[in-house]
Amino acid sequence: MKADRHIGMLAAGLALLGLALGCSEPEPASPAGGGGERPLRILSLTPNVTEILFAMGLGDQVVGRSTWCNEPSEARALPVVGDTLHMNLNQVIALKPTLAFLITGREEVARGLEARGVRTVTLRSDTLPQMFDSIRVIGRETGREDAARALVARIESDLAAVRRRVAGLARPRVLFAFPMTVGSARIMVAGRGTFVDALLEVAGAENAYPDRANWPTVSPQKVIAAAPDVILVHAVGDEGAPDRVEAIRRAWTGWTSIPAVAGGRVHILTEPYLTIPGPRVGLAAERLAETIHPELQERSP
Amino acid sequence: MTLQPLSARRYAVTVLAWLALWLVVAAAALVLGARVWVWESGPQLNDALRDALYGVATASVVGGALALAGLAFQALLRNPLASPYILGVSGGASLGVILSSLFVSVLVQPIFGFLGALVTVGTVYAIAQRRGRLEPYTLLLSGVILNAFYAAVIMLTMGLVRPETRGDIAYWMMGNIGRFDLQWGLVGVVAVLAVGAAVVFAFLAKGFNLIAVGEETAGTLGVRVERVRHVTFVVASLVTGAAVALTGPIGFVGLIVPHLLRMVVGPDHRRLVPASFFFGATFLVLANLATGLLEGAVAPFPPPPVGVLTAMCGGPFFVYLLRTRWRRTAEVQ
Repeated sequence: MKADRHIGMLAAGLALLGLALGCSEPEPASPAGGGGERPLRILSLTPNVTEILFAMGLGDQVVGRSTWCNEPSEARALPVVGDTLHMNLNQVIALKPTLAFLITGREEVARGLEARGVRTVTLRSDTLPQMFDSIRVIGRETGREDAARALVARIESDLAAVRRRVAGLARPRVLFAFPMTVGSARIMVAGRGTFVDALLEVAGAENAYPDRANWPTVSPQKVIAAAPDVILVHAVGDEGAPDRVEAIRRAWTGWTSIPAVAGGRVHILTEPYLTIPGPRVGLAAERLAETIHPELQERSP
Repeated sequence: MTLQPLSARRYAVTVLAWLALWLVVAAAALVLGARVWVWESGPQLNDALRDALYGVATASVVGGALALAGLAFQALLRNPLASPYILGVSGGASLGVILSSLFVSVLVQPIFGFLGALVTVGTVYAIAQRRGRLEPYTLLLSGVILNAFYAAVIMLTMGLVRPETRGDIAYWMMGNIGRFDLQWGLVGVVAVLAVGAAVVFAFLAKGFNLIAVGEETAGTLGVRVERVRHVTFVVASLVTGAAVALTGPIGFVGLIVPHLLRMVVGPDHRRLVPASFFFGATFLVLANLATGLLEGAVAPFPPPPVGVLTAMCGGPFFVYLLRTRWRRTAEVQ
């Protein structure tokens, strides 16, 4: 028994050594040589990247996804490896991916994947230009630059179409918020520079909270002071359940000095794609535009 | 310990003085918290005042409730370190509230908070009781152990839920007073319970004084020690559970406030009960105001939750108690 254990430990040690040696010789980066001899096996760890890959026609080369990559529906059939916080590394290794995409902020995950011989590319999609860059990078990494260019052009034309629809309309001040979290006085809103901020601009509105960048959490008094004309609350997942939506609506009705509340223009939106910086941002902008400008719906056939 | 006889006048002065202090602080917190000078329109000022009033009301009822519970635990267990937080009662209530929040609606959470608190008190009591006597060391240790156990179960829960819910639970555990979706009904429930507890403890105060001398002495003087104990434990658990359901666990209020007051008004529980109720309220209103004023100071970071602030003040105070007052008490026993 004891000897067995020692042999086991020796084997584990050798395996680790092998791994370490593997690390010391990093795989040569092949920025433009994606479509080479080795077939691509892509691991997508971010919902927007999964959508982008499928939109570029690379769906059949995706071998694994994160827990949160539910769109498009074909993606749901793919094996799940967890998310960047809790990843099942054995599952990752079993899928033999050659290329992994994730978002920044989890350096150790990227290092861990690289150490296992998976080329790992970290992408940023916090802003609209970053999202377009991400699509181009995915194109380069997969050798499908033409498809990337086509997707960028398609999204840009979608956005331009929404811009045309709202041209000439008054631009109300819109607050894009997430539901209040349990026991918290603060709500998260879309700040300056986020891609939602850009979509509001496309949809013919002004962001009512341009004071801070990214996704600040603000107190009720800040919202009162911002005095938005329209409030869009993005309730996804569990928050989108009917009783939660009702609770969110009730929570807002109290703050009667806010023009949006007084004018009955607090809208609770439950479509997940509204905050996914992917191929459907044009659709998101259109949904925002039609909510912000109800006259558009009457005009459209 | 000798207590002076308490005249009705002296009692009334105590109650009114602490009530007046709370009123002054609450009014100031309302004005400063709402930043009444920044608003341009009447409706905006109304909304800001409503936000500030909710904070003052919540801080008052929760602070009063926790201070009363702390005073009662300290009196009954004859232990200066007893408080809802340290005995694990807040932890038990938190676990009850967290588990119930995953499955049932907000309105019944106080009931689960109360159950968690009561189970904790019962367990601590059962562990620490030997031959009808409560052993102070065992008592505190069982509180510490229960706290660790609850922390583990809460962490397990957090590991199993979705990341968004995980963040909510973590934030809730820090203890928060303000809310976006105002829960006036729940504030009302806690207010009624806290006032009720103050009344019950006011009637039991004489018994607390005699128990402080010694349980056997109290027994021979006609105090039904067991009954006082049971009523106190149930009432203190009830208010702690409800307070935790409203704001999450806010530590050290139940520890600090009774001690500060013993230094000011002396050991007589007849005066300590109303003083703890009003000064607990005052203390938490001040702490909440401080977090509100930090909002601008530490931008762009959100201000610390009030529970974080009280724990940061409470830690050093706890050390002070360990080094001075507790040592003396322990030597006596």
